[in-house]
This record gives sequence, C-alpha cells and structure tokens, in this order.
Amino acid sequence: MTVHEEWTDRLSEYLDGELTADERDAVEAHLRGCAECAAVLNDLKRVVARAGSVEARPPQADLWAGIAGRLDAARPAESPGRVMPFAPRDTRRFAFTLPQLAAAAALLMAVSGGVAWQAAGRLGSPAGLRYGSSTSAADATPNVAPPLRAASAERAGADGNGAADFARVENVSMADPQYDAAVVDLEKALKAGRGQLDASTIAIVEHNLQIIDQAINQAREALVADPANSYLSSHLVEARRRKLELLRRATALATETN
Amino acid sequence: MAITAVTALSGETLAGRGLDGDVALAARGDQPAFERLYRTHVARIHSLTRRMLSSQEADEVTQDIFVRTWQKLGQFRGDSAFSTWLHRLAVNVVIERRRSFAIQRGRMSDDEDALDLLTVPPARADLTIDFESAIGQLPPGAREIFVLHDVEGYKHREIAVMLEIATGTSKRQLHRARMLMRRHLTGE
Repeated sequence: MTVHEEWTDRLSEYLDGELTADERDAVEAHLRGCAECAAVLNDLKRVVARAGSVEARPPQADLWAGIAGRLDAARPAESPGRVMPFAPRDTRRFAFTLPQLAAAAALLMAVSGGVAWQAAGRLGSPAGLRYGSSTSAADATPNVAPPLRAASAERAGADGNGAADFARVENVSMADPQYDAAVVDLEKALKAGRGQLDASTIAIVEHNLQIIDQAINQAREALVADPANSYLSSHLVEARRRKLELLRRATALATETN
Repeated sequence: MAITAVTALSGETLAGRGLDGDVALAARGDQPAFERLYRTHVARIHSLTRRMLSSQEADEVTQDIFVRTWQKLGQFRGDSAFSTWLHRLAVNVVIERRRSFAIQRGRMSDDEDALDLLTVPPARADLTIDFESAIGQLPPGAREIFVLHDVEGYKHREIAVMLEIATGTSKRQLHRARMLMRRHLTGE
C-alpha cells in the first residue's frame, strides 16, 4: 500500500462524516499538502453526487398484466369466491368464480392424470399448494419486523407456520414424472383450445409461462449446487405450483369458451 | 390466472388522486387502486431491481415485488410512508433473490483484480444509462452496497443488518465501489 492509498482509503469515510474529530483533522491536514489526494476526494464527491441524482426509469414493457394476473391467487382468503375477470374476447366478457375454475381444473386434472399427481402428494405440502404461504424471509413485512431479516424466526415466515413449511419443502423432488405428465397434458389441452382464446390472452399466458419456466430452471440449477437449501426448494415448489395453476386456469378458460 | 385489461391512466388522473386513499382501497382488495399505486412506484422499484440485479431479471422480480406488496398490504399500518414501506419490502425481495441464487458468492472477497473489471466508458450522450451501465459492471458485493448507500440512501448500519455483514465491510466495499466509479467518471 502506498502512502497515498493509506490516505485515499479513508476519503470515503471522511466524505461521509464517519471519522472521529482527530481522524478528520489528520485527513484535512494531509489534503492541504497533497494535490493528488485532494483530486481523488473531488472525484469521489462527483461520484456520490452523481449516484444521488441518478433518475429512476420505468421498465421498457408494461409489467402490469403479469401482476394483475396473479393478484386474485395472491389473496384468496380476503375474497373467497371473488369473480375473476378475464379480458374481453371480441365483444363478450367472461367471468368465472373460483369454484367454477376449481371444478374445471379438477375435471382436467382427472383427464390428464393430474389427480394421480395430487393424490401422490409429491408437491402436496402446504407450502407448495397453499396460497400466500411463501417461506421467504423477504415476506417479513417492513413495519412488522423493521430489521429486514437475519433471525431464523423471520426466515420462517410471517404467519408463524413457516418453520414447519420449510421442513416439508426441503424434500421436494427435482424430478416428478407425475407433475411433468400433468403439465404436459394441460399444455396439450391448452394447445387444443388455443383457438378459443383471443390473441392478447394467449400472449399474456405465454409470457407468464416463459417467466415461470425461467424461474423453475434457475431454481433447479441452483439446487444442483446447493441441494440442502430450503428456500430454493420452496421457490421451486412455488414456481411449479404457479405454472400448474396458470395452465389450469388458461385451459379452463379455453374449455369454457368452447 | 385472472387476466385483466390494463387500465390506461393518464398522469393527470393520477395526480388528481390521493395516494393514501389508494393504499387504503388497495388494502381492501381494490385492484384499480393497486394499479394506480403500481404506476406511481414502478419506476423506482424497477430501477432498484435493475441496478441490484440485472436488466434481465428486473422485470420478473419487479412483478414479484408488487404481488408480494398486494399480499402484505393488509399488514401496512401506516407507521411510515407507503413508499418507504414498499421500498423496504422491495429491497428484502431483491436481497433474498441475490442470496438464493448465489449471485453474490464471493462478493466480499478482497480480490484486487476487481479494480480492473470496470471498463473505461466511451463518451456517450445518455449519461444516465451510461452511469447505470457502470454500476452494472461493479463486482457484486461493491455494487449492492453502492446502490443501497449512495443511490438509495441507506446507512452502513442498516446495510450491515440487511446483508448480514459487518459495518466495516460495508464501508470498505462502498469505498471500493466509489473508486471504481471514479474511474468511470474520469476515464482513468
């Protein structure tokens, strides 16, 4: 470390007012006689000023459709049986209640072999299937638990059941033939009913499927490197649940409009 | 999957609505109100995710953040501004994402070669994008602390808690990041 580095390493703390009075005086004394360090300090001031003024930019694409499509599923407890609106197709507007969708999904699952998957309970843990039961530490609500996390209790989830969920999801299987078969069958059913959906709905469904598949692949890859990571397991379960749910609903819509 | 047509909201319409009212409405399940909240805050949230993660991941994570917000709105007590609460939740999600996918592995290494990673920028007219591009080239550990401290305004002690690191580590990484960004600005 050069003499200059010894001083420049302290310049950020000096800039942020993190030094003691004695340390600050020493730095200032050095700066008065060292043009090089003074120049570095000026550059750092520019960096800080630039960072503080960098403007927020919105996303290039409108993300709302992908959010809106997940809202009903995200808070079912507060709105049981809520009518779920779909985008109008031509001049008609379709709406389904959760029981209707559940019935359609159950029928499709029976046809496709999904019932077998569900009965086997391969993904049947509450963490995998229950809405809003994510076990991520990020679920900690800021004004409920101000320090963002660190405590294992927080990591367990806000509803207090997270620890048990974590234990259950740790054993999630990376390969699940029955789940995969259910997905394949639903994809086939959706493909067959594709003509019954309008273009914008198809685009939204395909876009969301693409996002979910990406999340599934990332989680799988990460689990290969860290197979004991319970968060990754729960993330994989959640992503797969999302995919199945999206396929169920989209297929139900296509079937209903036949 | 419920698919709702996107409601076109003009800036004039947004300006005429009280956000506090929209927070209350959204907490009771009003999706149009929540969409207004989304449109008000999406730029800042997306910018955070883009700078902390990558452009490729930003869209997906931003959507996750707003869905998580929708889930948690009932727990928002109004102790802080909604924007503050939302931002903190977003930071949580982003950090969890980084941690989960081991993006930050080795982030706190003292690899001196990291100082050579930042390329000297060409002269460009769009300084905002150019500066963001330079942030994106920072080593992961220095990058997240630079964004949290210098862009988002968090203190070292807050960052230390969020990232589960020592305050001194946060300070060292910030200085490292600033020195790298200095190269970007000065073209050294």
